[in-house]
Amino acid sequence: MSLPTLFAITESELDLDALLAQITLESTGAAAIFTGIVRGITSRDDPHQTDFLEYEAYIPMAESKMKQVADEIRHQWPSVQGIAIVQRIGKLYPKTPTVLIACTAAHRDTGVFEAARYGIDRLKEIVPIWKKEVGSKGELWVEGDYFPKPGE
Amino acid sequence: MNKIKVLFFATLRERAGTRSLDVDIPGDATVRALKDQLAAQHPNLSESLKAVLVTINREFAFDEAVIPRDAEIAIFPPVSGG
Repeated sequence: MSLPTLFAITESELDLDALLAQITLESTGAAAIFTGIVRGITSRDDPHQTDFLEYEAYIPMAESKMKQVADEIRHQWPSVQGIAIVQRIGKLYPKTPTVLIACTAAHRDTGVFEAARYGIDRLKEIVPIWKKEVGSKGELWVEGDYFPKPGE
Repeated sequence: MNKIKVLFFATLRERAGTRSLDVDIPGDATVRALKDQLAAQHPNLSESLKAVLVTINREFAFDEAVIPRDAEIAIFPPVSGG
């Protein structure tokens, strides 16, 4: 039986229920779902307000790197059943979900939490997506700090 | 000569003032040579090109890699999705 893996870049609103339904099997008993949200007020480090974030992606490569992240998850956590990795792009306002990483499994003690955590961490390293923040500090590209190594 | 397409994203796109350029490079040019050529032809890119990620046909590529014929190259800053 093939396990559901879905990955996408979209300009549409993320429908968390519909995405979860697509990776739920008859034998699924647990789902770990991470979603990132546009933070309107940042108090940590450098306090400021955000009016919106504007996302862009190198779409065909982003989708193939999302598939790579899903493959890495399956390799490390073979008991994971379904995987969904979806990034919304375009102009996104505070309180809006921006990204979804969800993993399902038969039980919660199968590594499903760690698998979802790995998924979002890895997306932020190798999936070609960028965001520009517009707010009280003006316009500022958010730049990552990860330089992929050969084979990544 | 090798005719390639170079895509720019995020800060590099804004610096270049375009999403893509068609570039002629020598047949044996490496990623490093392409960066040097772009920096010479587009001085406003030269500073940003010092810390960028480069891909060849949608896989990460490194300075010594030789660019294949008709390659799709992309140049961009470290990613910041999520």
